[in-house]
Amino acid sequence: MKFEELSLLEIVDLLHSQKLSSVELTQYFIDRINDRKELNAVLEIYDDAIEQAKHADERIKNGFRGKLAGVPILIKDNILFKGKKASCASKFLENYVAQYNSTVVDKMLAEGAVILGRTNMDEFAMGSSTENSAYGNTLNAIDPMRVPGGSSGGSACAVRAGLCPVALGTDTGGSIRQPASYNGVVGIKPTYGRVSRYGVVAYASSIEQVGLFTKTVKDNAYMLSILSGGSQNDETSLKVEVPDYLAQIKGNIKGIKVGVLKEVSDAVKGLDVEKTYFDLIEFLKENGAEIVYTNMPHFALTLPCYYIIAPAEASSNLGRFDGIKYSRRSVTASNVDEIYVKSRSEGFGKEVKRRIMLGNFVLSSGYFDAYYNKAKKLQQKLKKEAEEVFKSCDVIILPTTTGEAFEIGSKTQDPIAMYKEDLFTILANILGVPALSVPCGKGSHGLPFGMQVLADCLKEGQVYNVADYIQRQYGR
Amino acid sequence: MSKTKISIEEVRRLASLSALDFTEEELNSFIPEFEKILEFVDQVKNCDTDDVEIEYTSHKLATLREDEAKESSPQEEILMNSPKTKKGSFCVPKMLD
Amino acid sequence: MQDYDIVIGLEVHAELKTKSKVFCSCKNQFGSLPNTNCCPVCVGLPGALPILNKKAVELVIKAGLTIDSEINNLAVFERKNYFYPDLAKAYQISQLVRPICIGGHIDLKSRRVRINRIHLEEDAGKLVHSSQAIGTLIDYNRGGVPLMELVTEPDITSADEAVEFLTNLRQRYIFADVAECKMEQGGMRCDVNISVKPKGSNVLGERTEMKNLNSFKSVHRAITYEANRQIEILKNGGKITQETRKWDDNHGKSISMRKKETSQDYRYFPDPDLLAVEISHDEVETIRKTLPMMPEQLKERYIKEYGLSEYEANIITKDKAIVDYYNKAISLYKNPKIVANWLLTDILSKIKDEQDSQIKISPEDLARILTLLEQSKISRTVAKDIFAKVWQDSANVDQLAKSLGGFVDDDSLQNIVKNIVENNQKAVSDYHTSETPEKVFRWFVGQVMKETKGKANAQTAEKIIKELLK
Repeated sequence: MKFEELSLLEIVDLLHSQKLSSVELTQYFIDRINDRKELNAVLEIYDDAIEQAKHADERIKNGFRGKLAGVPILIKDNILFKGKKASCASKFLENYVAQYNSTVVDKMLAEGAVILGRTNMDEFAMGSSTENSAYGNTLNAIDPMRVPGGSSGGSACAVRAGLCPVALGTDTGGSIRQPASYNGVVGIKPTYGRVSRYGVVAYASSIEQVGLFTKTVKDNAYMLSILSGGSQNDETSLKVEVPDYLAQIKGNIKGIKVGVLKEVSDAVKGLDVEKTYFDLIEFLKENGAEIVYTNMPHFALTLPCYYIIAPAEASSNLGRFDGIKYSRRSVTASNVDEIYVKSRSEGFGKEVKRRIMLGNFVLSSGYFDAYYNKAKKLQQKLKKEAEEVFKSCDVIILPTTTGEAFEIGSKTQDPIAMYKEDLFTILANILGVPALSVPCGKGSHGLPFGMQVLADCLKEGQVYNVADYIQRQYGR
Repeated sequence: MSKTKISIEEVRRLASLSALDFTEEELNSFIPEFEKILEFVDQVKNCDTDDVEIEYTSHKLATLREDEAKESSPQEEILMNSPKTKKGSFCVPKMLD
Repeated sequence: MQDYDIVIGLEVHAELKTKSKVFCSCKNQFGSLPNTNCCPVCVGLPGALPILNKKAVELVIKAGLTIDSEINNLAVFERKNYFYPDLAKAYQISQLVRPICIGGHIDLKSRRVRINRIHLEEDAGKLVHSSQAIGTLIDYNRGGVPLMELVTEPDITSADEAVEFLTNLRQRYIFADVAECKMEQGGMRCDVNISVKPKGSNVLGERTEMKNLNSFKSVHRAITYEANRQIEILKNGGKITQETRKWDDNHGKSISMRKKETSQDYRYFPDPDLLAVEISHDEVETIRKTLPMMPEQLKERYIKEYGLSEYEANIITKDKAIVDYYNKAISLYKNPKIVANWLLTDILSKIKDEQDSQIKISPEDLARILTLLEQSKISRTVAKDIFAKVWQDSANVDQLAKSLGGFVDDDSLQNIVKNIVENNQKAVSDYHTSETPEKVFRWFVGQVMKETKGKANAQTAEKIIKELLK
């Protein structure tokens, strides 16, 4: 059987009914990962993966029916799993072994998951192509000449290449949705606070979320119900009940109010995604949705707003990597100042350094009000605009990317071009709302891209319902 | 709007705040790149935010964590990733007091 | 010196009396083995997140109420960013824009000192500078211990006033039970900002800052030294440089620290990992109700209601332990004046002699002794004996009263007197006929005392003798 062709829900069924053992399934995916080493999607297969699978089989035999009992799952390299390496794809944390479990890993283990290994990413989640990894770039799962997107490029590629049924990522400015778009898979960034960030190495704390990749929207909905929930270890996690998202997928979109932003409609003109975007809106209308033409005047400023807030927080969050407590210490450092400066200069890659410098610039005295505070105020203005939009819309439709995946190396010399990759994804992070990318069309080279469904905070159910309809019906 | 310019002294000051060191060559390529990024983020200045008050997400005092001491991590676990430890402590070359 | 005004502002740090740390559940405990009260949060491991301790906020509110602060209805936490090995995350979580307490004041004998704010922050770890071979050791046990920082306005004008202010503040914290302020453990530390200006001038001089003074004595010495140093410079036509100076207590002088450190840019911004805290008016009022009396209020009450002298009231209210003892004792023995008397003459002098602040007699035992004395069941001499014995080996008061024979109860005394009267009929008749019956009466009293080895209550004995001689 080709297990990579099965959905997560089908796999769970097979495992629960004991038609398939976790050991068999896990070994199957390990073999596939080893067969597709050239993708460089997976940095490490944990040496106890088969042990974990055996343990899962034992539990299943004894009647355990955890929602992920025996399911092998890959996690992004910035999510902590106690006793396992977590390097954030940085040389600086090459040998860092997690001293505790992240909340998401705990939740998956509680449901019986097999944590199979860790996936490649842009160093400290800073990047849009997984080219900023200290362990080499990851390839696009469909076209090896192209990037998989980033920063969660390894996880997106792994799901598309059938190296696992589900993989976790993190999304700070589009780091799940953009690679989902480029690899033709489903990726969600949940509402800010929906999933606990405890045990996830922080890049930009106020806007990032853990999310996940699956092949289908339904799998995605199933999985998010497991990862969600407030945590006593994360003040910013939302202490509200977690719905069964799968049950919120109704199979029709009748009467759903779909927002179309004027600024987005203007921005897509001439892009690869233009036709698909307008076709999709037409399709939704024909199938019973009500299209609401609305606007967000400051939409265009989401990108610069992000590139102030995120580096500011990053500059502070990454201070703890100092060569003293856990990160690698420069061998030539002979005093404390040198430990700091040399270890960090040797340990961090170029993009990370650039963002730390930028962050310290916008926070430093004399610039704080003009940049950081200004961006925070702008964020608030955008939230007010969104509030208005969501008064008349259930969801908003946006492209995920401007087109299909770009070629490896084509944007590495131009940071601004790389930053503009996040044009359509950053809005959801700035607003803190849920956003999902669903495969929707093909570009001029025949490669996939996705469209985004956004909804107001905690309305993931609405997002899944619309996205599921698109995935099953659009283009058929 | 005039472009935000950045001097080599300014970059050195930022590097010092960042605990980063750049070679002369790195610095020279850094400045034009950094100025381009600043030009990009300078767009936020086009937005009038005079009417916006910063709002904070908050929670009520009564809902905060109760003051109860719990078990800490074992010392060896705290120190396990450190490049240098001595006498149950993280260790750096002797600092001038 | 008299040609110049000295302008002093203080920043006083005090560790809060909580069970757990401010952003994690590790023990807030002094003296443990290095890095044993630590967890992912207080060592700043990747991915760890802070969770605010409710008690820490409440204690800062309480501290603020003792100095008449306004309590902010929304408190925000910011990050203060800098690299130093005792700071695990390379930032300290502190408060800048919206501290918990705003304003307030403390009245000294000579003037009012205005308070700018009190905010809550986390303490840093401890560095142990060992030998060259071993290096500097870092212990994060203290990292994350809740710390409140009080900042005064520059209203203090002398070293004496600074010490008076600190003594007063320390007393308030201890009385309010918010901080133990153990100076020797670094539980209370003080930064001093000081400048001088020509007498009467409105223009403030350049100021210098001295950090982490951990005794009142070094605060006094440091201010005196630094004020003189600045005045000397000005007198010689020099200029003061704004800088941080280190106070060297061993050599009694301040030394300039690297200038680089003084122009720090901390890049404060709201900590995105923490939510702001809403503090309601009701919550503040509830805390206000738990506020015990402060020394001044107690003093007033002791003088006005209990009739103590100002001297007595002053001494008792100097120390919370003494106040607690006194209040407990007078709740059991309701004569505050007598208790104060014993407290000052017997207990405090013993403490002074022994140079040990522990009171080795419980308020219950003291009250019992005083009750027996009042009921004339023991004599004053015996009372003092019992006190001394209890102090020495915490013996039982009632047993002592019996065994010391002090317990000559009224019935026994009646019998003793009766016997003496019966066996001395001559003296009885002398009493009735003598021109100086008083002399004979004294003889009888002497006999009773002889018989009871001085343990009879004299007044009772006299009463019984008079009656039987009728």
